[in-house]
Amino acid sequence: MRRRNRKQELAISEAELVSMTHDLEDAHHESLPSMRDSLTEWSESDDDIRSGITRLVSTPSSRRAFLLGGGAVLGGVALVGSGMGSGLAAAATRSGRMGVPSATSAQKLSGDLAVVALAASLENLAVGTYQAGIDAATKGSLGEVPPAVVTFAMTAQSQHKDHAAAWNGVLTGAGKKAVTGVDLTVKKSVDKAFAKVADVPALATLALDLENAAAATYIAAIDVVKNPAGIKTAASIQPVELQHAAILNFVLGEYPVPDAFAKATGARTVKDKIG
Amino acid sequence: MALDDTRLSELLEQSHDLHTDAMTTTRVALDEYVELAHDEPLHDDSWRDVDPAMRRATLLGGLPKTGLLAAAGLGTAMAALLASPAFADKTMDVQMLQTAASIENLAVATYDTALTLDFIGGGSANGVVKAFVEKTKEQHQQHAEAFNAAATRLGGKAQDQPDPVLLGVVNNAKPSLTGPAEVVDLAIQLEDGAAQTYVANTGAYSNKNARSVAASIMGVEAQHVAILNAVKALLAGGAADLIALPPAAASLPAAAGSIGFPNAFYPTTDARPANEGALQ
Repeated sequence: MRRRNRKQELAISEAELVSMTHDLEDAHHESLPSMRDSLTEWSESDDDIRSGITRLVSTPSSRRAFLLGGGAVLGGVALVGSGMGSGLAAAATRSGRMGVPSATSAQKLSGDLAVVALAASLENLAVGTYQAGIDAATKGSLGEVPPAVVTFAMTAQSQHKDHAAAWNGVLTGAGKKAVTGVDLTVKKSVDKAFAKVADVPALATLALDLENAAAATYIAAIDVVKNPAGIKTAASIQPVELQHAAILNFVLGEYPVPDAFAKATGARTVKDKIG
Repeated sequence: MALDDTRLSELLEQSHDLHTDAMTTTRVALDEYVELAHDEPLHDDSWRDVDPAMRRATLLGGLPKTGLLAAAGLGTAMAALLASPAFADKTMDVQMLQTAASIENLAVATYDTALTLDFIGGGSANGVVKAFVEKTKEQHQQHAEAFNAAATRLGGKAQDQPDPVLLGVVNNAKPSLTGPAEVVDLAIQLEDGAAQTYVANTGAYSNKNARSVAASIMGVEAQHVAILNAVKALLAGGAADLIALPPAAASLPAAAGSIGFPNAFYPTTDARPANEGALQ
């Protein structure tokens, strides 16, 4: 990645820009109560969801597309292990101590709730991966890390935490346990890729893969989830994952919005193992 | 009994005419019924939510006793079907799709106008901004085609006009488009309005194909917003030369890393009304 050495004098101060960002953060937090209302509506709306016995209702073709959307979406990079792997594993463990009740990995869910659990696990994985990146940056393992990249990682991580909390709210509202683990099927690929991360571009590429996988999974989920509130929740999250992806593309020097249509290609499936 | 051949022929001819009329009417109704079944509305059981007594009354009475449907003989059941919630949902879906197409039409036209401005599409333009505007315009054209295809699939007409309300916003803004920042501001309004509308619509469509189309587009509009937000911040900071691919990341202010995506959940408070761009 080319870097300019000269510092640019800005017409407005960093403090003014930070103030603008805080205004935007306030707007974000103001949107949370209406999101909570929507999630409460979902949790209370359907006896089937409460009993976790909702059946996936979808056309055979869309269901196949969702179920077959698995496979190694993250680069397929075979790696030699390195110290980075332990950082990611440690980060994944930390993400499990976020103050939500523990869930056993053996919790059996079906239908819409299985999709919810998958979504929560992917969000948890994103949280853990960004944390590992932040930790690596702090330790100096990634070389020079631009301040904007650190801000990006921290903000994206915070939003993924909110997403995970939203999905777990649905689970607990339905009498199920929150998912504190991660998508272990995807984590295998993430661990391999992270072990090779030695600079910001490599970390950004890994993050981009995760964001795109999450966005694709939400596209697939919208096609199969039966509950309207669930569709609304997924619809409110998918664009944000794609926004993260757009900025990562930009940072990597790639065209930020390469596709006119988002697709379910690379979507994770309910067959993924959640730990 | 003596058979009156002439009269019998007349009666046969009348019977044939009645039968032909009935078949034509029924065929139209059946085609719509098949289309409805293929579209598989989300709320399959919504008709069952109607009070059974009301449902019977609708099926057996309160229906036109004259007209083509009544003459069809099978019209009673078909008329009930045409009046069912499923068809009302279909009408709303078509309206939303036409409104979406109208928003896309406006976006295409607005970016077209922007490209005529020297600081966006001409010699003094930032190359990255110009390329972004050109590609974004193309993407919106594809979006319009997709929304219109979904609308016609549901029996509606394609919408080739811009959203009438947002058109007013754009026209009012045109005299003030004196620099890149003003154009970016206007683009953010349109893109964010589109994204919010499609996020809201995705949760509202009863037709699965319509929902899939909206879901595939909403995130792309959100991406446009993210990039435009970042560009806006850099322009406001007098750092237009940092709008580059790849960017000089080390020179970017810290806050630039998050300015593109202010919300964890995409809002819908400014979603356009479902029928705003619908064909009357």
